[in-house]
Amino acid sequence: MTDVLTYQGEFESNLELQLAESVKAGFPSPADDYRHEPLDFNRDLIRHPEATFYGRVDGDSMIEAGIGDGDIAIIDRALEAADGDIVVAYINNEFTMKYLDLSHSKDGYIELKPANRKYSPIRISDTDNFEVWGVVVWTIRNWKR
Amino acid sequence: MYAIIDCDNCYVSCERVFRPDLNGKPVVVLSNNDGCVVARSNEAKSLGIKPGTPYFKMARQFKEDEIAVFSSNYELYGDLTARVVEIIRQEAPRYFRYSIDECFVMLDNSSSTDLKSWGERLYKRIRKSVGMPVSVGIAPTKTLAKVASHFAKKYPGYNHCCMIDNEERRVKALKLFNIKDVWGIGRRYSAKLETLGIATAFDFASKSKDWVNSTFRNVVAFRTWAELNGEDCIADETMAAKKSICTSRSFSGQVKDLETLGIYVSNYAAKCAEKLRRQGSVASVVGVFIQTNRFREDLPQDWQFLEHTLPTATDSSILIVQAASALLKRMFKEGYQYKKAGVILNGITPSESVQLNIFGSDPETLKRLKAIDTAIDRINKLNGSETVFLGAQQFAGKSDGGKSEVLAETMRHEFRSKNPTTRWSDIIRLK
Repeated sequence: MTDVLTYQGEFESNLELQLAESVKAGFPSPADDYRHEPLDFNRDLIRHPEATFYGRVDGDSMIEAGIGDGDIAIIDRALEAADGDIVVAYINNEFTMKYLDLSHSKDGYIELKPANRKYSPIRISDTDNFEVWGVVVWTIRNWKR
Repeated sequence: MYAIIDCDNCYVSCERVFRPDLNGKPVVVLSNNDGCVVARSNEAKSLGIKPGTPYFKMARQFKEDEIAVFSSNYELYGDLTARVVEIIRQEAPRYFRYSIDECFVMLDNSSSTDLKSWGERLYKRIRKSVGMPVSVGIAPTKTLAKVASHFAKKYPGYNHCCMIDNEERRVKALKLFNIKDVWGIGRRYSAKLETLGIATAFDFASKSKDWVNSTFRNVVAFRTWAELNGEDCIADETMAAKKSICTSRSFSGQVKDLETLGIYVSNYAAKCAEKLRRQGSVASVVGVFIQTNRFREDLPQDWQFLEHTLPTATDSSILIVQAASALLKRMFKEGYQYKKAGVILNGITPSESVQLNIFGSDPETLKRLKAIDTAIDRINKLNGSETVFLGAQQFAGKSDGGKSEVLAETMRHEFRSKNPTTRWSDIIRLK
């Protein structure tokens, strides 16, 4: 009675990608001595789970960086944003994802740069209501629908 | 030494994580059913909005004053506060969560400057990683730590971390501290204390032990007094679980029949059981109340409350729903239009300490009940709450996000924000 069967996918668990390792029946595998933890995206791509958030790309402003409409961005808020990082910023009541350009800080402004020639950089001065919300560490694109 | 880490205006701060434009602006969060104000930003507090203000009375003023209004979104608050707790766990191995927005930490005896910079660092880390502002209070007792956290919140000079670590600071803090804000005092005691001429925490702490005992004859008042005087006497484990668990709601319409009322009460009982399991506790007393709309003086009025003590403390959905349904059957009367119902669990203890009643459930039955509850919790966690429920709960059908229509129908949440941390459909859009 304690066995309760549920026909439901479990989405919490980690997907473990076992490296190919042939099974030789009857013999102890010499590879057993070299066993290693399986690869795990949750462990290896997400360094700060408590600070990690996800976003969906809306538009083509980063297309030349290889980031397209509908891609998922993994955002780490624990990281300090550095010059040249792709960041998520909040400006004019919306989230935007752009390259952070701090090279003009001494002139009193910073720029958010798109990766698309059709768009121009957004110049941020002290007076703007602006914050760097997080740093993009990975993007994910789905190919096989 | 103890530290308390307390989220500043927790629900408002959660909403602001995904709405940074609301920083510095007045924001309120409404209770279940959009009934009244349960959380206010500092700006809303300065505008004179009081907690518990009914929303329908204020809707126009909120609009005029450009106050942002949110329905409560516990799915979001639960996720963000769990992230805060995770950071606390990493920074302080000995901790326990006291409520959704408060954590106590037991600290080793490091030097004062170390603790102060630890607290400031913790604030910065939580603020940056989660976006949640917190206040840290550090002191030799839990009650004094609460006092310290109030000061950390009130005065920016403390850099979000205030420490009461010597006699001079203790006296100074208590003299500035209103007795009614002391943890454990409550409205009932503070009224009595005021008539006795006690206005500040210092006034109370300076009284003699005999005076406190003869005036109150109450262990809570005595402990509070001792703790204010620096004597550590509130046990850690008694803090970990809250005293009672209640799920209650007003229906949007009125309910006349036992069957419909039974569905609601079963749902609330199941919710309570889930809460119990989440905090790792069991309950021995199940209470149910039902009431008619007291604002409709033209209709016959009824108010009922009954409690039942279970033979064995339990966290089983099935046993708690059964007990609640039986109580409802006993109290229900034909001819009234009920507006509100609720389930209250009491006699709550940590689940390890359950004394099996030999006349109650046998261990084999308990094991089976446990397996069912584990399955319910797991499936509901994966697919959104109320995907799986007991027969007695009888949901009419599923609507968006797994919430049943029956339950959803009873809840108003006009201003509910999205769930960008728990649902893929709601993750933030990046332009």
